[in-house]
Amino acid sequence: MDPIAWLSGSLGVPYWAVRAVAAPLVYPGLAAFMVVALFIIWAERKIAARVQMRVGPLYVSRRLGGALQVLADGVRIAFQEIIIPVGVEKWSFVLSPILAFTVVSLAFTMVPGGPGIYGFRSSLSLLATYAIVTLTPILVIVMGWASNNKFSYIGAGREALVSITGEATLLASLLAAAMMYGSMDFVEIVEAQMRSHVPGLVANPVAALLFFIAALLVTDRLPFDLVLGEQEIVQGPYTEYTGLLFALSMALGYAKLYVLMLVFTHVFLAGWAPFTSPLLGSIAVFAKTLLLMLVAVFLRSVYGRMRLDQVASMFWSKLFPLALVAFVVSALIHPIYAP
Amino acid sequence: MAGSAGGDRHRSRPGLVRAHLEAIATAARRLLEPPMTMPIPDYGDARVPGYRGVVLFDYDKCIGCSLCAQICPARAIKMYRVPGDKRLRPGYNVGRCIFCGLCTDICPTDALSESIVHDRVYDDVPSMDMDPVDWAVWSRRVLEEERKPGRPLLRARVDPERGLVYERVDAEGGPVAEEKGEER
Repeated sequence: MDPIAWLSGSLGVPYWAVRAVAAPLVYPGLAAFMVVALFIIWAERKIAARVQMRVGPLYVSRRLGGALQVLADGVRIAFQEIIIPVGVEKWSFVLSPILAFTVVSLAFTMVPGGPGIYGFRSSLSLLATYAIVTLTPILVIVMGWASNNKFSYIGAGREALVSITGEATLLASLLAAAMMYGSMDFVEIVEAQMRSHVPGLVANPVAALLFFIAALLVTDRLPFDLVLGEQEIVQGPYTEYTGLLFALSMALGYAKLYVLMLVFTHVFLAGWAPFTSPLLGSIAVFAKTLLLMLVAVFLRSVYGRMRLDQVASMFWSKLFPLALVAFVVSALIHPIYAP
Repeated sequence: MAGSAGGDRHRSRPGLVRAHLEAIATAARRLLEPPMTMPIPDYGDARVPGYRGVVLFDYDKCIGCSLCAQICPARAIKMYRVPGDKRLRPGYNVGRCIFCGLCTDICPTDALSESIVHDRVYDDVPSMDMDPVDWAVWSRRVLEEERKPGRPLLRARVDPERGLVYERVDAEGGPVAEEKGEER
């Protein structure tokens, strides 16, 4: 039984409208994201702890290995006072994290969570998702600018550089993949991979690797956590934030990572590949995305940090040219995805 | 997958791809090893014979003789007039108490007894000064907490051979069936 059909019938609202609201709010949207964030932040701390031979979060819910630690932190943050410092640009300071998170959540209308589970289907949904995700750096820069704090300001400057640097490679690898499938629609991309039984990861590993590395950069994951730069600039653009605004700004990075890993799942891991039913397909997509996110947070405990100029030179002089190689690979290999 | 990027990035250093893979493999191997650090032992202290904590008061056993108030060297116990009661009853100021236990010794009916806690938290200074009824209610609460420990209890014992030994005990002070000595 289709819950969306039932809802649209009982509310008297058209089917597409219910779907457009349910996708960003429930799955793959905010409700699913909350679960993912709670799990991933715990996993990140636990993995880093185990690699460093520590125990990690433990005392909140000892039997679950401290799994509710993040929830406890969230509750604490929710009751924390939201301090608005005297010198800040008040409205930009308050509204920019809210707006930034809202913008990222809009991406959930475009990315499918499983077969037939999406807000809108468009022939340009890949590009639209990319456009929505890459809108957030502007708001992060507004955050840093409005905070009236030198750490925030430096962080905002780094965000500008990092977003320009990372997104060129991100877009190039996505376009290489789109060229390979001959489509920018997630559903068609996944169907092309299911038809040929070759996931994009195998067909074009260069583009997949570049997308993954660039996604690490634009979501401030190590080894590229320049914007957050805890060792140097406290929390970067988020330094002055407290309470729920801080939680939103923290969730921003994880939401971006979630969206980008969903995109990776669809474009390079064949989305809901072995299954075609909505339920099993959704579970497959969710599991693949979670696995990718675990790999992304695992890398935190493997690598050190890179310097700003090292990142810029690596991306512009090494990875971006490699993206052009990915285009060549796509051009050579695209016949296997021909309908 | 990592080979294509790593190999292209630094042609002059052919070992770089391997270095990346080795770093990841090392971290993955460490992930499976048990942690070196130990969790903080989550144990409470068991009742030690003769331990002197805050004094507990049983209203029903009290005969109102006021011996406790007379013996108290810190004047922590004072006699109060309770509405609807003919006799005077003792009240207790924890802030003044020096935990000497003289009151529990002199009490003819064992209405006063010693607990194993002395490190309780109070909202403010006035709430440390309890009248007889408050004291009796509060004593019952402390006793309940004592009987139902939230975490396993440990008792320290000096062993001639092993030195200081910590043993698991139950709330009454008896040894727990799966007795396992733990050295700290």
